Amino acid sequence: MGESLLQASAPAGPPGNCRRVRPVSSARLTAGLLAGFSGMPPQNTPQRPLHSWKEIAAYLDHSERTVRRWEAMEGLPVHRRHHDRQDTVFAYRHELDAWSRRRTREPRRAMASPGESVAPTETPANGYLVEHDAITRVMHCYIAGARAGDAELMRPAFHPEATISGYCQGVEYNGSIQHVWDWINANGAAPNLQPRFARIEIIGTIAVVHLEVQGWSGRLAGANTRASDVFTLLKQDDGWKITHKLFHWHDDDAA
Amino acid sequence: MQSQPYLTDYDAIVQTLQLYLDGSRQGRSEVMRPAFHPDASFFGYAGGQLAVGIAFLFSWIDRNGPAPHLEPRFISVDILDSIAVVHLEVGGWSGTLAGAGVRMSDLFTLLRTPDGWRIIQKAFHWHG
Repeated sequence: MGESLLQASAPAGPPGNCRRVRPVSSARLTAGLLAGFSGMPPQNTPQRPLHSWKEIAAYLDHSERTVRRWEAMEGLPVHRRHHDRQDTVFAYRHELDAWSRRRTREPRRAMASPGESVAPTETPANGYLVEHDAITRVMHCYIAGARAGDAELMRPAFHPEATISGYCQGVEYNGSIQHVWDWINANGAAPNLQPRFARIEIIGTIAVVHLEVQGWSGRLAGANTRASDVFTLLKQDDGWKITHKLFHWHDDDAA
Repeated sequence: MQSQPYLTDYDAIVQTLQLYLDGSRQGRSEVMRPAFHPDASFFGYAGGQLAVGIAFLFSWIDRNGPAPHLEPRFISVDILDSIAVVHLEVGGWSGTLAGAGVRMSDLFTLLRTPDGWRIIQKAFHWHG
């Protein structure tokens, strides 16, 4: 996992700052004082960002899986630094706090379906934008799961009867979506994924998304490989679901 | 032909879809079956009900019967190496099940196999 590397490279900050403390302002202030920044008032201390999923998870007092899901589906503000070898994540406490407040204030419309949860900003009035945003949120579940090497993050994005097709190292591959989940878990983290939406086309109750994904890595993906993915989606009562993933690995231009 | 791989793929894809259209026009699923991959899937709402599985399509085509006035248009043909996406708009649907003069939007995904391009999924939106 990339976390150990991230941990190793993260600068040594003040110990124990705000760990296991829910982001409530009064509690945080107390925690900050208790943490004791060498006698400096916490308000005047430039805050060190949280430098890993582990730190972000600890700050929000939830599991890493949960906070990754929040990033994918609910717009948790997590930033990325791109490096040659390994991308790193970081987050600002004030942004996480603002996100938490907003999330508490706005009741979530679709608790039953994580893929359809309310966007962090106000819902667009335009019907097309609503559908477009709902689809990109579903796709971000896939991306988050791929990045983390955790199939649970992407499972809500898929229709239970979804299938996959494509060529892997020259061998044709067809099967249930379970194969994708098994592959994602076996592959492990791919922290440098660089996904781009090449096409999103919505036709009433169906949609097609062409995703170009560069920077794949992991035990099965190899180093810095590229995939072209075409997803077909269906709009159900509980939101958009991926029914099919068609992929092409660009084996030729692997670094 | 080797010097024009794009045109070769494009024309082969259109030919595969032509089998689908011929079968739809004639109301005979056996005409379109060769266009589909054995593992092909099928998704969409027909009359408000979710229809799943390629067997549903073949059965529907046979029960619908001829639809001689189909007017297909290729909206997009995107080829990404071994995979492709085709958006087809088909007007003028008719038949026992389709009714008269209805329109269907189809998204086909295709896979290049040793036997040629095959439809691996058809997703549709029925404009009721």
